[in-house]
Amino acid sequence: MNGLHGIIFSYEKRNDLRELSEIRSAASIPFGGRYRAVDFALSNLVNAGCTDVGVVLHGRYQSMVDHLGTGKAWDLSRKRGGLRLLPPFNYQKDWGVMPFRGKVEALAGVRSYLDTIRQEYVAMMDGDLVVNLPLADVYENHIKSGADITVVCGNDSFATADGTYYEKDADGRITEVLYNLNRPRGYRGLEVYIVSTALLKELVDECTAKDQFSWRRDVLRAKKDTLNIRCYIWKGFAAQIRSVQEYYDRSMQLLDPAIRAELFCPERPIRAKGADKSSTYVSDNGRCVNSLVAEGCRIEGVVENSILFPGVVVEEGAVVRNCVLFKEDIVRRNAQLAYIIADKDVEVLENRTLMGHATYPIVLAKGSIV
Amino acid sequence: MKKECIAMLLAGGQGSRLYVLTGEMAKPAVPFGGKYRIIDFPLSNCTNSGIDTVGVLTQYRPLELNSYIGSGQPWDLDGSTGGVHILPPYQGSKGGTWYKGTANAIYQNIGFIDLYDPDYVVILSGDHIYKMDYSKMVARHKAAGAACTISVMEVPWSEASRFGIMAVDGDDMITEFAEKPKEPKSNLASMGIYVFSWKALRHYLTEDEANPNSENDFGKNVIPAMLNNGERMAAYRFEGYWKDVGTLESLWDANMDMLSPESGLDLLDETWPIYARSVNAPPAFLGSDSQVHHSAFNRGSILEGTVENSVLAPNVVVGKGARVSYSVLMPGTVVKPGAVVEYAILGENCSIGENCHVGGTPEETAPDPWGLTVLAPNCSLAEGKEVRPGIMLDRNGEEVSK
Repeated sequence: MNGLHGIIFSYEKRNDLRELSEIRSAASIPFGGRYRAVDFALSNLVNAGCTDVGVVLHGRYQSMVDHLGTGKAWDLSRKRGGLRLLPPFNYQKDWGVMPFRGKVEALAGVRSYLDTIRQEYVAMMDGDLVVNLPLADVYENHIKSGADITVVCGNDSFATADGTYYEKDADGRITEVLYNLNRPRGYRGLEVYIVSTALLKELVDECTAKDQFSWRRDVLRAKKDTLNIRCYIWKGFAAQIRSVQEYYDRSMQLLDPAIRAELFCPERPIRAKGADKSSTYVSDNGRCVNSLVAEGCRIEGVVENSILFPGVVVEEGAVVRNCVLFKEDIVRRNAQLAYIIADKDVEVLENRTLMGHATYPIVLAKGSIV
Repeated sequence: MKKECIAMLLAGGQGSRLYVLTGEMAKPAVPFGGKYRIIDFPLSNCTNSGIDTVGVLTQYRPLELNSYIGSGQPWDLDGSTGGVHILPPYQGSKGGTWYKGTANAIYQNIGFIDLYDPDYVVILSGDHIYKMDYSKMVARHKAAGAACTISVMEVPWSEASRFGIMAVDGDDMITEFAEKPKEPKSNLASMGIYVFSWKALRHYLTEDEANPNSENDFGKNVIPAMLNNGERMAAYRFEGYWKDVGTLESLWDANMDMLSPESGLDLLDETWPIYARSVNAPPAFLGSDSQVHHSAFNRGSILEGTVENSVLAPNVVVGKGARVSYSVLMPGTVVKPGAVVEYAILGENCSIGENCHVGGTPEETAPDPWGLTVLAPNCSLAEGKEVRPGIMLDRNGEEVSK
């Protein structure tokens, strides 16, 4: 299974992540108590036997570069192949100053990298997708079905910001590519594609020559009748993190054991960087229920229906309900929080009260002191 | 590659006083404090003290330990010019022997130490829980111009007769050493941590090896020989938390200490991190009816019942209506719904069937003799079984006597 090469897109896109994406791209948003969104794409690829993965970066990627390091956590720190970070390097004049307008432009930006790919096939994934796909199976299907391009779709038409939706015939061939839908219909595209390296290069070159930049418009839509574009339907959990609301709702879904069992299935482990912290401690008077808690936390107050990243401190008398608290947040004595997403290093001082709502979670920017 | 200082970690002992817990692994590999293993402490101390070359002497059941240490990467001990090296006994052209004692283990690896041509060698053991800056001890060794420096700590006078006791002069230079003295002359106990000038140690090791009556042990032979010869021996006073976890009771105690930073063992303090090779698992989940109090837990765990005053390793499951109190649960242990576990140490991957009752409180056991209940790794108890306080079971669930 070393015929598959991975490319992950982690460039700035239009989304509605407010303060969460001010300091990072969507792909490096912390998710699920100890992960970054990109950990899922990386683990999906590695679990399918990928040894070479390129990550296309553009804009606000300091956090991403910091997170990925040498790729050690995913066994991608290798002598040959392994992790390649791909900031834009094929600049022509001012090109590259603006964010990428689409995947084809992003690929054109790293065109010379495409020539170095050793594998016959490429799996492309978005870095902001939280999923545990059996990518080896998708790959096998791609080869068996004789498809030119395989598009992985969710089994729903869940509305996601800037989503792509597909219609297919009984045979599994894509018949329509839709986007900018007011009311989504069809199958939700997960922005995971398998294509042969040769065809990918051909398509990128052809589009570049015509000044086309969009993968879904200029490739999938334009060529749906000439290329054999097929879909693979994934029935499980698949979250695209593109708005604060989506982030919040999807995070809270992790409190459901069935969803956790599927997303963190032991056959395909999701790998993440360790945090070198001690065990989490709940004190005598502390109370913590229906919550997902990472290591190194100290809970002396009340935590309910929440997700705590490593090193969070909830002091005595503090109450945290329905919140997502990122790394090293501190909730001081008798403070009360509900429906809050607090970015890293936030401190909520004594006796403060902050309430959002399930339909409008409040985001606290990194390092804020409330 | 010349190094100023390297460390040799004695990790070959069986740790027989941990009984079934070390049935299939060496003592330093025994899980501790939730996410650690005992050996994480000396290894992390080394890396935090700037020692980048560590030889780990293994002999008894080394497989688990070897695979745990791996490349040494979790402790940053995978550098290109040093790193952690596993050193088992080996055969030479004239045959070879097992490590006969602590000093012999080092003697057999003189060749390894010579590769680095160090000025100082730190000798550590793999069964202590503590945070210590060895570089300060080496500095003391240099300043004293000593051939050997022994780390000591004050113990209560009433307990002094259980330790190796040092008598010191006004400059804290050692004048006398007595192993478990009946009438101790001081309350400075050796912690089994030594710094030697390599030249001197090399000499004494060779001499000790040539002595057929020697037990080839640091405490019993090498240190007394050096003292008798008038070598400069310095004491290095250590203050802080230190515990030998060589017995089931002390292992349990040290785990409980971890829950209370007042004990001096503050693992949440990140200025001196203890590193560990961690498992890949999602964060712990605490269910709606869970009650977790004064306890520590780790990733991959699913807690639906009651957990009090306990230390839980990664991937532990406590079912609905189950209760775990005053216990230490090692990785992968499952306590099924309705079961009760009290004052127990459960080895890795134990499975406690529904409505079992393992262990008991000292109060309820009185006047019968009470003790910790200990289950070997992989021990599986069928539904409804009772295991009395003080009982120890092997992996097949058979009772083992202490």
